[in-house]
Amino acid sequence: MSESESVVERARDGESNGESNGQRRVEHVTCLGCGLACDDITVVVRSARIAALERACPLGARWFGDGAVPRAIRVAGRDASIEEASGAAARIVASAERPLVYLAADLSCEAQREAAGLASRLGAMLDSVSSATVLPFVLAAQRRGRATATFGEIRNRGDVIVFWGVDPAERYPRFEERVAPEPEGMYVVGGRGGRTVIAVDVGDARGPARADRRMQVAAADEERALALARAAVVGRAVASEARGAEQPDTLAADAATLADTLAGARYAVIVHDAEPHPARTDDAAEGLLTLAQALNGPTRCALITLRAGGNRSGAEAVLTWRTGFPLAVDFARGAPRYRPLEGASRLLERGEFDAALILGMPRSVPGAMARSLGRVRCIAVGPRASENAFGAEVVIDTGVAGIHEGGTAVRADDVPLPLRPSLEGPASATQVLRELARALSALEPVATRAADAAR
Amino acid sequence: MSAAGQLRIVGGAIHDPANGVDGEVRDLCIRDGKIVAELPDDAPRLNARGMVVMPGGVDIHSHVASTSVNQGRLLQPEEHEVDPEPAPALVEGEPSYAGTGGTIPSTFTTGYRYAGLGYTTVFDAAVAPVAARSAHAQLDDTPIVDSGFFALLGNDDYLLRQIAAGERERARDYAAWLLGAAGAYAIKVVNPGGVALWKGGARDVNGLDAPVGSAAVTPRAILETLADAANALALPHAVHIHCNNLGVPGNSATTLESMRALSGRRAHFTHLQFHSYGGARDAGWRSGAAEVIAYVNANAEVSCDVGQVMFGPATTVTADAPVEYLLHASTGRRWLNMDIEMETGCGVVPYVYKETAAVAALQWVVGLELFLLASDPWRTVLSTDHPNGGSFMSYPRLIRLLMDRTYRDEQLARVNPHLLAGSALADGLAREYTLNEIAIVTRAGPARLLGLRDKGHLGAGADADVTLYSRDADTERMFATPRYVIKGGTLVVEEGQLRRAPAGRRLHVRPGYDAAITRGIERWFDRFGTVRFANYAVGALGDPPVPCG
Repeated sequence: MSESESVVERARDGESNGESNGQRRVEHVTCLGCGLACDDITVVVRSARIAALERACPLGARWFGDGAVPRAIRVAGRDASIEEASGAAARIVASAERPLVYLAADLSCEAQREAAGLASRLGAMLDSVSSATVLPFVLAAQRRGRATATFGEIRNRGDVIVFWGVDPAERYPRFEERVAPEPEGMYVVGGRGGRTVIAVDVGDARGPARADRRMQVAAADEERALALARAAVVGRAVASEARGAEQPDTLAADAATLADTLAGARYAVIVHDAEPHPARTDDAAEGLLTLAQALNGPTRCALITLRAGGNRSGAEAVLTWRTGFPLAVDFARGAPRYRPLEGASRLLERGEFDAALILGMPRSVPGAMARSLGRVRCIAVGPRASENAFGAEVVIDTGVAGIHEGGTAVRADDVPLPLRPSLEGPASATQVLRELARALSALEPVATRAADAAR
Repeated sequence: MSAAGQLRIVGGAIHDPANGVDGEVRDLCIRDGKIVAELPDDAPRLNARGMVVMPGGVDIHSHVASTSVNQGRLLQPEEHEVDPEPAPALVEGEPSYAGTGGTIPSTFTTGYRYAGLGYTTVFDAAVAPVAARSAHAQLDDTPIVDSGFFALLGNDDYLLRQIAAGERERARDYAAWLLGAAGAYAIKVVNPGGVALWKGGARDVNGLDAPVGSAAVTPRAILETLADAANALALPHAVHIHCNNLGVPGNSATTLESMRALSGRRAHFTHLQFHSYGGARDAGWRSGAAEVIAYVNANAEVSCDVGQVMFGPATTVTADAPVEYLLHASTGRRWLNMDIEMETGCGVVPYVYKETAAVAALQWVVGLELFLLASDPWRTVLSTDHPNGGSFMSYPRLIRLLMDRTYRDEQLARVNPHLLAGSALADGLAREYTLNEIAIVTRAGPARLLGLRDKGHLGAGADADVTLYSRDADTERMFATPRYVIKGGTLVVEEGQLRRAPAGRRLHVRPGYDAAITRGIERWFDRFGTVRFANYAVGALGDPPVPCG
């Protein structure tokens, strides 16, 4: 099935009322405004614009907008055809000594797969926005593992919910309504009334206002609070730091109370936020993971890591299955190497790259990185690529995955969902990347670069 | 040779047990991706004199393409760092992709390496239907092999509710709907009821008649319901069962009880090695292989794959999440758990089987005993439950263990003997598998058990999936390095080098069901799900379904 057929096909599947009064309703649309990826949105289309949304939260409404996107294709500032622009892009990356392929937000998994293939063929560094946000949790999980669940298990089983330094009402507006604590669950009768909500304020990062209990942790005490809680769960004391005997250790008492409540749950849930930048130290990340693991001794517990929008989790899933590593994958030697502690941003700052293929929404590229990109030859492919702030030499505007493009996205809990485009858009990112791959194949030396490096 | 081309394979010794051919030297003809009876004399030829010719390998039970497998990949960057796999140099500039290996290789590398062993069909044995989209995408990125997966159903909340209500017909219709919605090939049961209990806070199921939530829902009822569903729907493959109490001493009793519970029904029992331990929880381990395989030998409706343990690194990755918790708690190893809504669980623990370890040595022996005491190779499939008992890359060594008693006895002399008293292997098993028996347990048998009529044999009309090996007294080397591999008529391995990597086909079923049931399923999704009913099914796949019946 071609891309354009699939757009129409999927849109048709989703329409219940079809065209009437000059408007069209597309139902069961997946919103990528945040990592919750709510898939129950109805999009009302009038005159090829999004006229109304049902069930979308303010974040979602901002993400959908009216669906208007620019449709520029330019090479060195001049309008070009897709073939010309792809050819120019292929020549730039093929002639580069050290190319970067970077996955920003708002790409489908299908586009991410194409991008990973290009990076392998080019011998490029391949990285994504995840390196700038969730990295400490990825590394901690690679050291220790993790205990987690998909959202539905939280909804159906979670009876004690801890929001650790995150207020979902602000950052993930429909979490409380769709996951917990509000909805009734298979094993949680009465919904909100059947659950205990604990807000943990970590420094300025406050938990939800409407909590049954509250605990305050100074930002500097976060690791210790987590260690104390875990020690209480496994029945070991943590050596008390040198404190005056006159000063009771309230943190230890609070942590022990928290541990008791969690261990007394039928199914405990700890919710934290990995965005918009790494708010946790490596040790705090590991502390959260190991506390949740330890709680599976006395009871069941899942740690939920919330993620921002635009299919960021998809990039980790795709890179993992294509390369064995979730982010910061370097193909310079032919086969992939894992370079999480360096990452695209740091290597770019060091002047390592001479060309960059930036895919996805330019405004989701971290600020420091966007500034360094001004120093290298850039190609921008993605929604609003033409609005990039790094002076890209080749620009190809595409649609937004989930608004103009179909395919698949991955929810923050690793559940894959279909994307139902509601509007026709410019060429899809997947199509453009396939065109770019074809253009590369036409340039003989490139096809063998990775193989040469390997030899 | 192009896919539409012709090829006469000349002078090889054909091992095609499904057609009663055992090493006869004759030509094999291929046209348009199929085996044909004859070709014109001027058709291109491939000289196979001195070579052994078999159908392409068929892996009935592997883990290569689920979200759980991918979590296992993500967990272990260190094993990927030490096993880089550059992109193979394919002919005619066909793009190829670099990846990494280890116990869970990246997807392209998985396809290349399976093909490099002469395997051309692979099934992932455990996919949560809610994550089926991801499994299809991973299989799409696994080239060369035809592939499919089994859908996890043995702890599905909706199914358990139908059983509780005595609605076994509705349960069957639900299973049929689910297989089609997920694009799956067969019904998989993992620790029936045990994973649901784990998610609810319990640690164990106590026997086949222990209640799971409701008195009417027991492991026995789950097994009966799903075995009957698979048979009533005439699915090409029987229900694929991972029994309760995996990895626990004394579990052979549970396994035998499960087999008897399904007496007279077609059923496949998987990685039987992990379920064939004698002894008792507090009274140590011993082999229970002889009793378990004796039941299989005597009951033609039962089939199994072995799930051999091979010494070296492994990754235990399973929907049997409580087992992984126990492994983590007892070893302190890294542990991933993911409870998957309304359907199943997932656990991952990286592991190493050491020949110096008493339990690992016993597991190794139990697996070999199952192979060597099995009287019908057609119902005994070679597997390591990749990557649980070891990588699929260790199949050639396993084949040598089966074919070469001297080698096997040398290996046996090296392992920890602590738990081997009274074991049949320790007492001396002389059997050596023949080439035809290897052809049965690695291709003809699994193809037949999977209901793949065009695979696992070399008769006219079969898929032209063919592997050519150079004869070698070292059978491990022989099976590790096929000279030629042909997939669907395309020469993918030439002179031991991977040269082409066409996409494989997706193997899936779409059994019929009473359409009225979807209303109830939709209400169930609305009430408890977080994925819309309308967004659940994966939709049309690129390949037509394999017919049922």
